[in-house]
Amino acid sequence: MKPPTETDLLPDSAEAAAVENPAVGIDQSAGNFSYNMEYAFDAGTGLSEDTIRYISSVKKEAPWILEFRLKALKKFLSMPMPTHWATKDLENIDFQKIRYYLSQGQKPKRTWDEVPDDIKKTFERLGIPEQERKFLAGVEAQFDSEAAYSNIKEIVSKQGVIFVNSTEGLREHPELFKKFFGKVIPTGDNKFSALNSAVFSGGSFIYVPPGVKVAQPLQAYFRINAENFGQFERTLIIADEGSEVVYMEGCTAPKFSTSTLHSAVVELVALKGAKIQYITVQNWANNVFNLVTKRGIAHEDAEIKWIDCNIGSRLTMKYPGVVLKGERARGEVISIALANDGQHQDTGAKMIHAANNTTSNIVAKSISVGQGRSTYRGVVHIPKHLKGCKNNTECDALLINTNSRTDTYPAISVRGDKNSTQHEASVSKVSEDMIFYMQQRGLTEGQAMSLAVNGFINDLARQFPMEYSVELKRLIDLEMEGSVG
Amino acid sequence: MSQLEIKNLHVSIADKEIVKGLSLTIKGGEVHAIMGPNGTGKSTLSKAIAGHPDYTITSGEVLLDGVSILEKEADERARAGIFLAFQYPSEIPGVSIANFLRAALQARLADGEEIDASGYYKRLYAKMDLLKIDRKFTSRAVNDGFSGGEKKRCEILQMAMLEPKVALMDETDSGLDIDALRIVADGVNTMRSPELGVLLITHYQRLLDYIVPDYVHVMYDGRIVKSGDKTLAHELEAKGYDWIKKELANAKA
Amino acid sequence: MSASSLSVATNLVGSFTAEAFAAHLASLPPSLPAWWIARKRAAYEKFAALPLPARTDESWRFSSISTLTLDGFTLPSAAATQVPHAPIGIKKAAKLVFANGRLFSHEPLSAELAARGVIVTTLQDALVKHEALVREHLLAQPPKLGSAKFSALHEAFLVDGAFIHIPRGITVEQPIGVFSYALGATTAVFPHTLVVAGENSRATLVEYFGSGQDTEAQFAAGANDLYASHGAHLTYIGKQDWSHRALSFQSNSTVVRRDARVQSLNVHLGARQARHESLSQLQAPGAFSEMLALTVAESGQEFDQRTLQIHQAPNTKSDLLYKNALRGTAKTIFSGLIVVDPDAQKTDAYQSNRNLMLSDEAEANSLPGLEIQANDVRCTHGATSSRIDPEQEFYLQARGIAKAAADELLTFGFFEEVLNRLSADDLHEALRVLIQTKFKK
Repeated sequence: MKPPTETDLLPDSAEAAAVENPAVGIDQSAGNFSYNMEYAFDAGTGLSEDTIRYISSVKKEAPWILEFRLKALKKFLSMPMPTHWATKDLENIDFQKIRYYLSQGQKPKRTWDEVPDDIKKTFERLGIPEQERKFLAGVEAQFDSEAAYSNIKEIVSKQGVIFVNSTEGLREHPELFKKFFGKVIPTGDNKFSALNSAVFSGGSFIYVPPGVKVAQPLQAYFRINAENFGQFERTLIIADEGSEVVYMEGCTAPKFSTSTLHSAVVELVALKGAKIQYITVQNWANNVFNLVTKRGIAHEDAEIKWIDCNIGSRLTMKYPGVVLKGERARGEVISIALANDGQHQDTGAKMIHAANNTTSNIVAKSISVGQGRSTYRGVVHIPKHLKGCKNNTECDALLINTNSRTDTYPAISVRGDKNSTQHEASVSKVSEDMIFYMQQRGLTEGQAMSLAVNGFINDLARQFPMEYSVELKRLIDLEMEGSVG
Repeated sequence: MSQLEIKNLHVSIADKEIVKGLSLTIKGGEVHAIMGPNGTGKSTLSKAIAGHPDYTITSGEVLLDGVSILEKEADERARAGIFLAFQYPSEIPGVSIANFLRAALQARLADGEEIDASGYYKRLYAKMDLLKIDRKFTSRAVNDGFSGGEKKRCEILQMAMLEPKVALMDETDSGLDIDALRIVADGVNTMRSPELGVLLITHYQRLLDYIVPDYVHVMYDGRIVKSGDKTLAHELEAKGYDWIKKELANAKA
Repeated sequence: MSASSLSVATNLVGSFTAEAFAAHLASLPPSLPAWWIARKRAAYEKFAALPLPARTDESWRFSSISTLTLDGFTLPSAAATQVPHAPIGIKKAAKLVFANGRLFSHEPLSAELAARGVIVTTLQDALVKHEALVREHLLAQPPKLGSAKFSALHEAFLVDGAFIHIPRGITVEQPIGVFSYALGATTAVFPHTLVVAGENSRATLVEYFGSGQDTEAQFAAGANDLYASHGAHLTYIGKQDWSHRALSFQSNSTVVRRDARVQSLNVHLGARQARHESLSQLQAPGAFSEMLALTVAESGQEFDQRTLQIHQAPNTKSDLLYKNALRGTAKTIFSGLIVVDPDAQKTDAYQSNRNLMLSDEAEANSLPGLEIQANDVRCTHGATSSRIDPEQEFYLQARGIAKAAADELLTFGFFEEVLNRLSADDLHEALRVLIQTKFKK
């Protein structure tokens, strides 16, 4: 008999894998612990020019970076909160009560043995070193403001692939870094990209040389350990002509009683014919404001695909985008969001068509549980005199309880008669007949609901690497517990 | 040997009484057929036994092996051994048959006990071979976009995998062509054993040519009004239901 | 910077100064009730205080802001002597014709309908004779779609309009017609139509907006109120055919009560820039609102349509279909929102915007939105922008039809889906002719 290899069996066999390897490190409950750290470097609480000078000096940065940061701070202070369209919950962030920089040192270790004990224990509890051995081409593990560990498999580095944290990237590859840094997402793109530009620390810098196809994913893991902390990593990925790379990121934080801020900027550049896939499974604790700007530029025949899954946080605002700059470039956003009680997942996608025959695809599915609120915001822009551009957008919302909430706010702008766009959205609930049918087969109402929710996102979950899709299924089961009855 | 006892059962939907005092005992190994005109409460009976929330049992008792199931939730009844083959099975997008059945079997295990994956697939494929179901079937989402015949076959496959004590088959023949009907009937016949009691609910005698019942009951206005052996089905086929109605009217007069 | 903020401040009222408002009040008949005059005064203050729309206003996203001037318009004083020939030749139950805001002519109801209590009269007349009904419904729904300033302007300068009341259980078979004309090069008009459909009544209203000449740079700030009581069926057809140099704001409000249904179709043909806001409130179970629109957008025109479907009660239904055909440098904006309140379970709401792009210069913007706070609902929306299907075009060409003619046929075909929703055949035909006339100009 043929062993079960079909795709449908993925969650099954993967479930078995999950038992052996209980965490890909994105389980909020498993991440709910912290260590009392003595930080060697601490910028204190609150934000001022001094904070920025401190961060820049401990990083021993070139003068142009300090200047860039100070300019960004001015920009941040001058910009209003975007509450004319976004939630008023943003007003609950007190920027003067946040700690902007905490670290044990600016140079990450290359082996886990060198990593300080508590930090090493943290990542071991989250299962990171184990995954690295199993299926990753490289790992960067950020603890508060800086990477504690960063390593890339020799076979990959020999191909000329650079995978370091952004502090190192700026120091060791300034010419490459400077060429693309802040070019995809300008400082003043929005208030939070300005904040990040002022206080950024950590994040990955990746360069893949022409024609190199990185076989295994590179992974970054972001860990917040300290209370009242703000994490502001800055990631820049450059895939040179004809190269391919998959990058994955995971994150957790302990559940503190006060809120925490995570505000990253991620810039991707896919040069001619390159492919970048960027996978996020966001499962911050429910007190984290997660306000992230992510955008990529796809040149001729290049492809950028964002796979974005948001389960944790108090408020997430994140709309990964692709600027389709070269002919025949392709952009895709696959988005899954689950909002439970007290959570607002405000997610979506932006597709800016800037060349002929570019195509973009957005599939967004959200699940609202209890009083959770999920919002989709999308921008599709096809300006004048382009031809052969296509966008397809699909948004489906599933509402579990009577008072769950969902919103959809797309904005589609098309010029000319040689392009086409299509947007469809639907809202549904899990039908009572379906639940009864499954109960009749012996599943409890909760199990039936979990299964229905997993079925709802199944087509998207399959696009994740297996380890992640297993974790996703498990996280959804956890979230669905107690959602019925 | 298991036994389902239905005692003087009354069932209402939204305050309207549909089943009005029905009694019937189904022992392991027996096949009972309930026939009757449309709207006499046949489907209501099966859904009420399975525990559908829209159906209220106002009085009477349903015992499985001497234990009442009426206080149990639908899933508990299913795990106790009641299987309902639906007249209109639900479509469950995104959930493959393989995963669905696996979850259903897992639900029958004790906490902490894990289903043996390779044993499960071996058994699943064996049952599928037995029922002449293509292996590719398992990767399709449950009933999603299935034809009428495929849905019914999917029901029979589930029944074979879940091994109930009592199967309630609600109009299993509706919407089936003769080939599909034969496949479904073959499936049920191969499962016939002293461990399984079957209640066939049908409007037509046709199904009973393929699954030969031990007992035939005629249901009318919420009650069983006549019982007999398989010859009763033939009589109904020949004469229709009107003579039963007349008999009833005469008996009242 | 300082110069522009200064000009904004002076432009807050434009031609609609306090003096102009005082003159307007003085011109009204003394018989009008005091509460109405007081409301107009309050409206003027609101208008003068509110800022003009800004680029950052979400409810004006994609709209051209710099062209929304309030300057250079005049409030007509003299009565008109002549109006253009009515473009829609269908039989009517009654007809009111307004020119520059004042009643120009009217064809009364049949004696039979009048005897059964049907009222078709002017607002000025109704404010005196049917004061309670008017007071309850006239501009009773607050503007929710962004044009608060222009709604206030409308209320302040409203001279006269139509008042229609269909009593309980009465059916008016033929449509009631209301025609509003703006005459003169810079004329500003403020048309209003108020319809109160009593329980289980039936009526159809056809409204037409037109100019004297197509070169007149006029200004219109209109509004209507449709109120459908328990079980009423109301059909509303509005045809906007202002001069191609006019600036138009129209704010429509529909209230649908238990088991009532309102079908509205707005046909947009005229104006250089036309903002149209349409609010439907489904207030009780069984309420159904069907919202339809057709737009033929030409070079130099901008059509800005904003809609809101609010489901305030369980088991309510709304169905929106807005179709735009864009030619030349035309620009359209469709922004629609379906709101389902927390208790409005079993809502069935649909919203669809289709844009047919007929030129390389045209621009279509779609903002289809949902805000859902109940889970047992059926809510879907869709938006598409595309050109004529080349396969269909080729098929017609292969049958010997020239490309231009084929495109025209296919464009009319595109509109048929909307027109087919109308039950009255003669109306359907009259609209088809009107649209084709514009298309062939």
